[in-house]
Amino acid sequence: MSTLNYLKKISVWDADAARHILSRSLFGFTKDDVTFALTKTLDDFVDNYLLKDQPLPSSPTYNGTSWTTLPDNTTNQTNYTNWQYSLIYWWYNLMLNQGYSFREKMVLFLHNNFTSQYATVRIPQLMYIQNQLFRQNVFGNFKDLTKKVTIDPAMLIYLNGEQNSKGAPNENYARELMELFTLGIGNYTEDDIHNSARALTGWRVDRTNLTSSFIPNLFDNTNKTFLGKTGNWTYSDIVDIIFDSRDASNNPIAARFICNKLYKEFAYYQPNVDYINQLADVFVANNYNLKPVLSSMLKSQYFHSVDIRGARIKPPVEFLLSLMKQFGIPNVNNDILGYIRSQAGALQQILFDPPDVRGWQGQRKWISTITYPTRNAFTDNNINGYKISAATTLKVDILQYARSYSSSEDAIAFINDVTKQLIQFPISEMRKDELLSTLLDGAAVYDWNTYDSAAPARLQTFFKSLMRLPEFQLS
Amino acid sequence: MKRREFIKNIGLVTGAGIATFSIAGIPVKAFARPFMNVQGTNGKILVIIQFKGGNDGLNTVIPLDQYSLYQTNRPTLAIPQSSIVSLTAATGLHSSLQPLKALFDSGKMTLVQNVGYPNQNRSHFRSTDIWLSASDYNQTLYNGWIGRYLPKAFPEYPSLPPLYPMAIQLGSVQSLLFENQQYGGLAISFQSPNSFYQLVQGSSVDNDPPPATLAGDELKFLKEVANQSIQYASIVRDTSSKGNHTSNYPANNTLAQQFNIIANLILGGLQTPVYLVTLDGFDTHADQQNAARHPKLLSDFAGAVTAFQTDLQDHNLADKVVVMTFSEFGRRVKENVSKGTDHGAALPIFVIGNNVQGGIIGQNAQLASNKLDGNGDIQFSYDFRQVYATMLKDHFGMTDTQLNQILLKQFSTLPLLKSSPTDVTDYNAIPDDYTLMQNYPNPFNPSTTIKYALPQSTEVRLKVYDMLGKNVATLVDSYQSAGSHTVQFNANGLASGTYFYALETRSQKIVKKMVLVK
Repeated sequence: MSTLNYLKKISVWDADAARHILSRSLFGFTKDDVTFALTKTLDDFVDNYLLKDQPLPSSPTYNGTSWTTLPDNTTNQTNYTNWQYSLIYWWYNLMLNQGYSFREKMVLFLHNNFTSQYATVRIPQLMYIQNQLFRQNVFGNFKDLTKKVTIDPAMLIYLNGEQNSKGAPNENYARELMELFTLGIGNYTEDDIHNSARALTGWRVDRTNLTSSFIPNLFDNTNKTFLGKTGNWTYSDIVDIIFDSRDASNNPIAARFICNKLYKEFAYYQPNVDYINQLADVFVANNYNLKPVLSSMLKSQYFHSVDIRGARIKPPVEFLLSLMKQFGIPNVNNDILGYIRSQAGALQQILFDPPDVRGWQGQRKWISTITYPTRNAFTDNNINGYKISAATTLKVDILQYARSYSSSEDAIAFINDVTKQLIQFPISEMRKDELLSTLLDGAAVYDWNTYDSAAPARLQTFFKSLMRLPEFQLS
Repeated sequence: MKRREFIKNIGLVTGAGIATFSIAGIPVKAFARPFMNVQGTNGKILVIIQFKGGNDGLNTVIPLDQYSLYQTNRPTLAIPQSSIVSLTAATGLHSSLQPLKALFDSGKMTLVQNVGYPNQNRSHFRSTDIWLSASDYNQTLYNGWIGRYLPKAFPEYPSLPPLYPMAIQLGSVQSLLFENQQYGGLAISFQSPNSFYQLVQGSSVDNDPPPATLAGDELKFLKEVANQSIQYASIVRDTSSKGNHTSNYPANNTLAQQFNIIANLILGGLQTPVYLVTLDGFDTHADQQNAARHPKLLSDFAGAVTAFQTDLQDHNLADKVVVMTFSEFGRRVKENVSKGTDHGAALPIFVIGNNVQGGIIGQNAQLASNKLDGNGDIQFSYDFRQVYATMLKDHFGMTDTQLNQILLKQFSTLPLLKSSPTDVTDYNAIPDDYTLMQNYPNPFNPSTTIKYALPQSTEVRLKVYDMLGKNVATLVDSYQSAGSHTVQFNANGLASGTYFYALETRSQKIVKKMVLVK
């Protein structure tokens, strides 16, 4: 039986394809970004721009002071709320200024896979260290990263690894490692949880040096049977055994589980099992390195099909930040980032604080009868102008933005260009007609120009309408 | 489409409050009052509290008759005998649950011991889904038990949705509990009625059909949610501002603040039958008895429900409402090395309200090692779906057939509630409320029978409308006596299609749909 090759590369590299890739891999993009992508070949753009290894960014500061290496003590704890905010803003800035790199979206993916909540960990320095660990390994070996995460200080605190000792082990990390991080439910037994919890004993967090360390006499130094294999396993052995584990038909369980998550995050939230299995084969063939998998996915025909394009509900942070990028808001200062953080909270996505150990479920869970109108209020505010502080008002210069389109003086062409740029969902002709009547507000189409005194008000109404559309929530 | 209409459709009409919109051509404003009959809810309300994370049932309801065994298993976590709140000689509560004793002593709280299901799953997420969907342990359902119940309570949904939300969730992420396979999420979610209204104000409904792709499915979903919020923001705000709670809700207790909002809605007259609130933080793997952790959660719970019950009693509404708790699992009998407890199995649940029978159903958790399951966890005595069956049948008045359809198999009920609902099908007696029966036969050609019942003598009109809202026949227009009445409708001269018939009185309007097939 021949199987469809889901990973076959797209044959047409055009503006639609470029916008789709940019919308799924960045936190917003401009017309110029589309133009730039099309000056490269698909392979060149994906492999040498989106997936290029980048140097690590320098650490965040608060009021000009670097805090990420300072010990956890009662003096420093008084600053933690401020430090944690500065950490969130630091990450927002990386997302906004990422260039053509897929990195920050993948870091967020890893944060949502290997979850830790600041509300539980309570040490910003450790949240920062974990975040940089993700960034360091973002396109690298997922199995190695799993080992590093297992003894990461924030994770040891979050899932009680640091309270796990021989005798009466704490099962918290062992269960979530398998259920949520690597294998998925149903691929292990309760005994596997008890026994791997024993292998994970002995790790403690040094809150002065912000490191983790192994204390041999807390370790259960005896044989354990895990996923059918018996030995005096350590945490590293447990991860190896997890990644070696195969189902009854000898298929790689962890690879499929992780590729399913990648698919869910970047393609569509309901799995296409055949496509995912083919991605998993690439993952295994490349010894669990992420880069080849991401490269195959972004270039594949199925990823670019009409079912997938425009089918993803924008996550809150992406929804909020992409507006800053799309409209070219100058000087996105901490006042604006603070406003974005508060809106992200209302929309249910505070970075470093997923709702629980499973992370954000995404897609339809982002939308409720309260979050949808909150999104509309945010887009309205950007157009109307929203005074955040005495010094800062967030407002799109709508006239300038409209004139950045070469078609700005031709109403019909303008609507075509704007909807293509701002909305990834294939918008109906009827919608365009409706938007046109909104823009013209009773005027004749040949009378439209942006130099008319009524143009700014009409443009404001038009852009507010456009961003309230359900189509605008999709990417 | 005219420009003005479009602007309304995409949500920019301002100053008009909630815009008029239409369902099947009939302006919703025509139904100026709640028109759904209450047969399917029995006029009752259920408030569900989800203890998220897995509540440690053994430190919640403590088996005094096995205290030493309890203490052996819980060397650091056992509640000292002297501070346990005893309910009976054999059973006590965690000291933080002190306020519940008065409810228990006055017969307004029933405890159901050892609730769970066969082959307990110990994943938070899978087990939560099992509880929310009322599935078997090895069955995956993408809809919730309340999501399956609501269309039975509101049989005209979605062609004629009720003017009040069918269910309300306090929060921002819609729960599986309310998912329906056919209709999607049936609850609305918000955190405060006022901010909800302000956000939605000025938006209006969109009926442009989406394309038949996966992406189109997502667009359809977005439109449905947007339409729901527009539809209900105003009634939620209005009823909430009418409700005037008198009870003192404890400060520094987020659950109590949520109950305060629910009380205002119920006191204001909202007929929504199901509410969901969540209390998070029960996943106590470590340092469980820290005052900020399990004790604080239990004390928040006790303070919130006690204030709520008082409020309802003060307003003579306590007979309508029942509060029940659940959690995805209890916790391990033996504590772990971190002064916490790992994931376990069965646990007790609380049912509170005027209409409960009171007392304790079932015996204490059995802690002897030969009574525990292979994992060292408490075995279940009652299937959680027995509790659901009891709520559906004895609280909401579902029939046995409906019960089986909602819970997907047969479960016996528990002696939890005092009164079973009166038989709502007895239309010869004078009913408690205006009732309009489904016509029969239906579809029909050319004539059909319509029955209705009046609780008191009144002016009555029974009118027939077409899909455009045009009045095509008036069958009754007179002063009639209380009791049941029957009329024939002959549709000679009318075209095939869907029609609506409406029972209109001074205070009520009930509408149903019928289909003429020639």
